[in-house]
Order: sequence, then C-alpha cells, then structure tokens
Amino acid sequence: MGCGSLEASDFKSDLKPIWCPGCGDFGVLQALYRALAAVGRPPHEIAFISGIGCSSRIPGYTTAYGFNTVHGRALPIAQGVKLANPDLLVVVAGGDGDGFSIGGGHVAHAVRRNLDLTYLVMDNQVYGLTKGQLSPTSLKGLETVTSPLGSLEDPINPLLYVLAYGAGFVAQATPADMPGMAALIEEAIRYPGFSFVNIQSPCVTFGEEEQQLRAHKAKLKPLAKLHHDPSNPLAALDLARAYGRELYTGVFYRNPAPPQPYDALVRLRQAEQSKLATPRAQLLDTWLADGRGKR
Amino acid sequence: MTHADSAPGIDFEALTLKDALDLAVLIEEEARDRYEELAAQLLLHHNRDAARFFTRMVRVEELHRAALVEKREKLFGRQKPAVGRELLFEVEAPEYDAVRADMTERQALSTALQSERKAYRFFSSALEHVQHRDVKTLFTELCAEELEHIRLVQGELARLPEPGPLEATDVSDDPAPQ
Repeated sequence: MGCGSLEASDFKSDLKPIWCPGCGDFGVLQALYRALAAVGRPPHEIAFISGIGCSSRIPGYTTAYGFNTVHGRALPIAQGVKLANPDLLVVVAGGDGDGFSIGGGHVAHAVRRNLDLTYLVMDNQVYGLTKGQLSPTSLKGLETVTSPLGSLEDPINPLLYVLAYGAGFVAQATPADMPGMAALIEEAIRYPGFSFVNIQSPCVTFGEEEQQLRAHKAKLKPLAKLHHDPSNPLAALDLARAYGRELYTGVFYRNPAPPQPYDALVRLRQAEQSKLATPRAQLLDTWLADGRGKR
Repeated sequence: MTHADSAPGIDFEALTLKDALDLAVLIEEEARDRYEELAAQLLLHHNRDAARFFTRMVRVEELHRAALVEKREKLFGRQKPAVGRELLFEVEAPEYDAVRADMTERQALSTALQSERKAYRFFSSALEHVQHRDVKTLFTELCAEELEHIRLVQGELARLPEPGPLEATDVSDDPAPQ
C-alpha cells in the first residue's frame, strides 16, 4: 500500500467529456488517469495524439499536451512528435475506424518502425460519432444504417493485424474489468517500443446488446487465468484469431527482449553523424577553402 | 462484486483501523465524485430529473464522508494516510455503464440502489478476511449503514409513481452526435 507522488486527478482536465452517458470511453479515461499516475511522469512530459472520432476527444480531457489531429493520421503525427522530442511520453488514442479504416495503412508502418509509443484503440465496432454506420471491426451480420440487411464482410482483426507486423506488445482490455485495464495500460506505457492495447469499449447508443459491458462481464476470459505465456508469439497469434468470438483480456504478446526503439536508434545515428560533421565554427572556413564561397 | 474485485491491491487481513477508516473515507469520496460526474453528464444531455437525483446523491455521499473523516480525526488526528484512491475501483460509485442519456428518475434511483448493494457486498465479503477486532467492528457498522441506505432508497423508489406502459427510453431520440 502507499500513495504515489502523482494522483489520477492530476491528469484530469477541467473539460467535461461529452460522450453519451454510459459510454465505455468514460471507463477508459478513468483507467488512463490511474495508469498515468502509476507511471509517475508529470503531465508536461506527456503528449496525447488522436485522430477523429468519439474516443479521439481524449487529449482534451487530460492535463497533458494534446493534439486532436485529422482523421486516421494520429500515428504519423505521433511519430513526428516523438522524433522531435524523444523525451516526451507519447500516447496515441483513437477508435477502430480511425485506426483500421482511414488510418489503417499507417498502423503497419508504425509497428515496423517501432517508436516508443503506446497506441490505445477504443474499439466499439461501429461508427458512433456519425450515428451508427459499419466500421472496419463491425462483426459480420451486423445491421446498421449502412447495412440494413446485415453486413456481408468479415471484420478486420486488430490483434492479428499488429501481431502479424511484429508489434512487441499487444494486449486487449475492456472497461468491464477496470483494475485489469488500468494495469494493462500502465504496462503498455512502460514497454520500451511500440505497444498496442485494443480496448473493447462499448457504444451504448449504436452498439448491440452483446457488445455492452454486462455481456463483457459474462464472457471475458483473462489470459493470465488461461496460463497463456505472453512471450510465445505463436500462441498469441492463435489466441488473437478468436477476436469477435471470444473476449480474451490481458497481454497476448510481450517481446521478452525488446529491440532498441527507432527513436533511440535515430539518436544514436545523430550522435555518430555529428562526430563526422564539421564543427559549426569552422563551417565558413571550409566553404571558402573549397572555392564555393567565390562569386 | 466483492472486496477482491474492487480493491484487489488491499490485504484485508493486515488492515489496521487507521487504514480501514481512510479506505472508508475514500470509498465515499469516490462515490461522491462519480455522482457528480454522472449528474454533469446527464445535465449535458438535458436530463434534469436524473441529474437532480444524482446531485442529491453527491450531498449524501459527502455527508457520509464528512462523518467518517470526523471519526478518523478523533482517533488519529492528522496522521498521513497510507492508502490512496488508486487502490479502489468503484466500490460504492455507480459504474459508468449504469447510466443512459434518457434514463428516468426511477432508473437513477435503481442505479443508486445497486451501488449501495455493491458497497454492502464489499464490506460484508471483506469482513470474512479482516483480522483486527476494531476493523471488524467498523466494517460491521458500515455494513449496517449500507443496509440502512438500501432501505432508504427502496422506500424512495416505492414512493415514485408506477411507470406507465411507455418509458422515456421508448420515445426519446438517440443522443446527438458529438
């Protein structure tokens, strides 16, 4: 037992969330505050980057730096932020549409580049902000305003997607298990490299009954209780295939020997290059000496 | 939900009276803050009846908190607490999922009733593990208080007019996209 120097309330901004009452994102936000307090970095050392969607409002609800960017482009902007200031703790937040539809192409590159970022996807399996159209993770058969007879498409599997591209940390959470979700977000933030948490965050307005928290509570299966070894990538892939059928929560995969993240490699490269570079004070002399300074 | 679900980080066998009182204060504080949040959410969606009830619950939880703080100060003065809010997850606070934009006052009361029952289950399941005699006494008192609150809310629910064939949820629009 004990109290850290930072509390969850230190990360809460004065802006009141305007999500629909009952939205799963309220729980995610609460878990995020707790995870940040546990990590212990002050708000001015953290940047939240998001795209567009209900969940992408999260930066405004925290006291950290925030950038509510353009649809699907949160990851490229977050990578720029991290490279410009590698000391920042960068958290990317968004929905399933933002991440796996319009921004889908960016996910693979963010994973393979492996910057030290945490990507939280609030996967509600529907476009809630625009009043309930099919999203890339909507389950087959789902009836929406854009699929009145039921969707004919299989959903994208976000877990398989990031695992297949080699993400070093892949987990899934639900607001139906608040302590578990807060612990997972904290663990993802602490992972040195690209970390991904798929959060099944129900849409109370346009989501189906079986996607609501009551249903989650009944069917969630913590991976720890199944004795899953998170260092086994093949076992992780096998479990991830059950997305949409089973609700596994916990860490699917954690690279036991994380490689240096891209931002650290860039720093090393910059240090090497700066050794070879001409000192700034001698730049003009060099320029004049090789004749380039002549008119 | 038991003590193990909503306070997984607490060792109830080793709990001292000071920690137990601090915990009880924090539980009321968590509930007060949550009701405040829920009232604000519902006001934003122009549901004044449910918001008014949750605002009343803010005052009720604050009164309970203040009474516990007074008791704690009498026994332990201003000694620094050793437990924090990070150890608790919705012990007496209603879950976010319990509210809807178009919920009726009756549904708001039912939400509070469920939360009081949740708190009762928390203290009664924790009691089975508590070792310290004074903590046992405190938790027994808190269990009795929660039972009293359950009876009060049930009484209020009984005084409300019976719901008609149509609830507000049957005729209201979806919340406006934000």
